[in-house]
Amino acid sequence: MVHARRGSIGRYYDVNGWLFVAPVLGLIGLFMIYPIVWSLWMSFQSGRGMMMKFAGFANIVRLWNDPVFIKALTNTMTYFVVQVPIMIVLALILASILNNPRIFGRGLFRTAIFLPCVTSLVAYSVLFKGMFAPDGVVNSTLAALGVISSPIPWLTHPFWAKVLVIIAITWRWTGYNMIFYLAALQNIDRSIYEVARIDGVPAWARFTHITIPLLKPVILFTTVISTIGTLQLFDEVYNLTEGRGGPSNATLTLSLYIYNLTFRFMPNFGYAATVSYVIVVLVALLAFFQFFAARERDK
Amino acid sequence: MDNLARALPRIAGFALASVSFLAVTAAEAKEITIWCWDPNFNVAIMKEAGARYTKTHPDVTFNVVDFAKTDVEQKLQTGLASGTADALPDIVLIEDYGAQKYLQSFPGAFAPLSGTVDYSGFAPYKVEVMTVDGQVYGMPFDSGVTGLYYRKDYLEQAGIKPEDMQNLTWDRFIEIGQQVEEKTGKKMMGLDPNDAGLVRIIMQSAGQWYFDKDGKANVTGNPALKAALETVGKIMSANIYKPAAGWSDWVGTFTSGDVAAVVTGVWITGTVKAQPDQAGKWGVAPIPKLSIDGATQASNLGGSSWYVLESSAEKAEAIDFLNEIYGKDIDFYQKILQDRGAVGSLLAARGGAAYEQADPFFGGEKVWQNFSDWLAKVPSVNYGIFTNEADTAVTAQLPALTQGTPVDDVLKAIDAEVSAQIQ
Repeated sequence: MVHARRGSIGRYYDVNGWLFVAPVLGLIGLFMIYPIVWSLWMSFQSGRGMMMKFAGFANIVRLWNDPVFIKALTNTMTYFVVQVPIMIVLALILASILNNPRIFGRGLFRTAIFLPCVTSLVAYSVLFKGMFAPDGVVNSTLAALGVISSPIPWLTHPFWAKVLVIIAITWRWTGYNMIFYLAALQNIDRSIYEVARIDGVPAWARFTHITIPLLKPVILFTTVISTIGTLQLFDEVYNLTEGRGGPSNATLTLSLYIYNLTFRFMPNFGYAATVSYVIVVLVALLAFFQFFAARERDK
Repeated sequence: MDNLARALPRIAGFALASVSFLAVTAAEAKEITIWCWDPNFNVAIMKEAGARYTKTHPDVTFNVVDFAKTDVEQKLQTGLASGTADALPDIVLIEDYGAQKYLQSFPGAFAPLSGTVDYSGFAPYKVEVMTVDGQVYGMPFDSGVTGLYYRKDYLEQAGIKPEDMQNLTWDRFIEIGQQVEEKTGKKMMGLDPNDAGLVRIIMQSAGQWYFDKDGKANVTGNPALKAALETVGKIMSANIYKPAAGWSDWVGTFTSGDVAAVVTGVWITGTVKAQPDQAGKWGVAPIPKLSIDGATQASNLGGSSWYVLESSAEKAEAIDFLNEIYGKDIDFYQKILQDRGAVGSLLAARGGAAYEQADPFFGGEKVWQNFSDWLAKVPSVNYGIFTNEADTAVTAQLPALTQGTPVDDVLKAIDAEVSAQIQ
């Protein structure tokens, strides 16, 4: 016993071991720890461009009085609350349909649905912009089908612009989540479904009582990943609105606001760092709540 | 054999000479890197300027890099913030609205040119935007003097003659717009609700800006801004505009022939003229006027200037180049005016032949003479250092304006946002 304990403590003093990991530790320190600590220090400074001064909690106070920040935060949370559930449910349904071996052209559909998330962000945003233009293919199709009488102002109306961003990110990321579910579904023993079928459990009940509970760890994982992704949402909004988050700041996200504070407005690196720490805190809190909620149901 | 023996030393000598020649040029050749945007305008003009300078200074070559405007600004700001000079060009183009922002927030980053350049020859308002604490930075370039470009053919169908377009008020402009739509089915203008450019044009035409002379916010008690917002609100509720999402979409509204008029800076001329099938169909008039005190028919939108980076290895050559071409070459200004529609701010250039010429694209009108007359009448204002912030606040409130929110409430909301941003 004593011998083994000495051995494990001894590992901490092994110079050779430290030498082996030193280069990596150095790089992590330089490229991860240093920027994190420095940006935290920066978030307590304020000023124009390079003329930074220590400002204490002034940046945090500024957050509360900043209507644009509140707007960006509300928008980001709206995307999160509306888009993540839609995407997760859609991905689950698609995965369980495409997991059925009797579906014709399974591989083709799986590839087609996964494909959006490997396309270039800029390319697809530009494509979406064209498709949803006032006289674009979406409006003309809807008009031809008689759904709408005048074109929907996708990019120029605050409400529809938000809807368009949600459509765009759902299109891109649903397939990505679906792949996780498909992989997880392969691990569920088919005999469980067979037994359920013999017992006369209907398809919908099999989905809600077998598939979903067994996929819970994967669902938790994808939810956390999607939460982080949505809170960091930038590219789609930037490209669809030419970097402005318009119309009327309706699509502005926290990340885009950070970009504006750093590159478009009078550069205030301190305040931008404060806003980015808001995202860090939000992601940490939301991930914690999601783990907490998932753990509760285990009992 | 004999021949070769005789030729050998000569070949060797020639080879040696060319090697040493190459070595000398390699040691002396300077490449000036320039960042700017708009391939039809700034990029093309800078290439022309570079070619002129290389003729007299063969050892200096130019590398004009073409980015989108937002990318130039972003890369410049990142480079300046990081403090690594390697990432920066020798010369960069900066829009006038942003000049003070860069000069004040990155002190020491740009080379002062006072003492080298004779600034008395330039339009004073251009020199003002690049002056900090008595030092002048940068080389004034183009003006954004505004005009009302209109389609003569569409207006004629609506019963409007070119003379009727000369002394418009904004209310009359909107009436004409309704008439044009009735008769031709075309909208009067393109409008991007995400771009406050039109508000800025109208506001400056009455001599006001988002900020007063001391740089303090000037929003709630600003009659010109109020009238500008009311005007844009009227244009929107009269529905005489074609909505555009973004710059290229907006350009598309008039290049495709969907709208009858464009109100913007003179730098758009090159883009208008890029449609040869529309030759002869366009006319240019002064912009409409507000019905308030101090209203004029002259205004400015955009316009930019060249700045030399203090950290540049080719600083001396870059300054000399700008001074030689942009500071003195009258002929150069005639060429870029004719080719690109660039109205420079070097006042002496306005006496040149090109300014007298009639433009066949505009049906033989002497448009350049008009633009330079209007340039002299542009009310000068203080752009301050927060124009981007104020602009964003205005675009955020435009939809509220069209939904019938009273202008005073809109102004209060803009003021709240601007006050929160400027610190």
